[in-house]
Amino acid sequence: MAEVHVIGQIVGASGFPEHSLFCKWGVHAGGAWKILSGTREGQTQVDNPQDEERANWSHPIDIHFSTKGLQGWPKLHFQVWHQDSYGRNELYGYGFCHVPTSPGMHNMECVTWRPSGSLREQISQYFIGGGPQLKNPDVVYTGADRYKLTTVTMGKVQLQLGIILRNFDKYGIEC
Amino acid sequence: MAGNPTVFLLMVSGQIESAEFPEFDDIYCRYCWVYGQDWVITSGLEDGITQVTKKSQDDRKLFVWNFPLEVTFKSTNPHGWPQLVVSAYGQDAFGRDVVRGYSSVHIPITPGQHTRTLPMFVPESTSKLQKFVSWFLGRRPEYVDPKVVAQGEGREVTRVRSQGKVRVSFNVVTKDMKKLGYDTTPTDAGASTQPAATGIIPGAS
Repeated sequence: MAEVHVIGQIVGASGFPEHSLFCKWGVHAGGAWKILSGTREGQTQVDNPQDEERANWSHPIDIHFSTKGLQGWPKLHFQVWHQDSYGRNELYGYGFCHVPTSPGMHNMECVTWRPSGSLREQISQYFIGGGPQLKNPDVVYTGADRYKLTTVTMGKVQLQLGIILRNFDKYGIEC
Repeated sequence: MAGNPTVFLLMVSGQIESAEFPEFDDIYCRYCWVYGQDWVITSGLEDGITQVTKKSQDDRKLFVWNFPLEVTFKSTNPHGWPQLVVSAYGQDAFGRDVVRGYSSVHIPITPGQHTRTLPMFVPESTSKLQKFVSWFLGRRPEYVDPKVVAQGEGREVTRVRSQGKVRVSFNVVTKDMKKLGYDTTPTDAGASTQPAATGIIPGAS
């Protein structure tokens, strides 16, 4: 079986309206894929940067996949949350990105979005915070039910991933 | 020579070059390597401490350490790829050691020269009371073991404030990874056919 190693970091995020951000991340892969070792989901620290525009998480990722087929190439999905000074959490963005298919180092940016509510919800969100969240977070990395949503642009999540492939050339796969 | 290798080697030489901490002075750095179970250091130091440096008296306000990193790892499995954990310390007004930041980064997986800028962060107290107590006693929160910054688990409970950055350069050499079936660089085949397809002859200019 061919193997894929994903080794890297969720570096941080920028372009969000407030600081004090954290990120819940997870990995999703098709049925032919198996995670041999490493954690498949996690949550970063909350960073409240002193003087910079970006939150830094330096959150390590080290996942070892084995696969019988190329379909369902793994994806990383993210939820960026804002934590206010009272410790309340507010959703700031959803996003996903594919794990790169070519071996080597990759610096990536994952764009994010959040659902926008009705006018009433938007007004109440402006004053008291909170906001609509996805009932079914699978929508983040599937395309099927997206057409029902109205969304707003949010910031970007920066990733630094190293990809190591094993035995792909043995099966004639060109990555 | 050896027919079928079972291990691969990862040789790293580099340096902890410099840092930026605009608000502080007199900073030194500790580093250590964090790696998985399958990994062993075959030569080089497991950890180290740099000199104490003052920042440059110019606009750059740069702390230069120029501190060498030289280590060779041996492993059978890339999982648990080694990470460099850096923690910077300074002194407060009473001459006590205070942590100025932690950070971690994976050794780059591809052979060659790489530079990394590590954002440094310090843990913060989670409650107002703790914040007051730590201010009153002058004891800032710090990690008992700096190696937690290289772990993904248990991070959700920590709140940090990032301040400053550290620059590290790496030169990476690997041995026998290809022989074990591992690909760490994009295949040349795709790269060399591309210029031909666009009509550009490589190296013509």
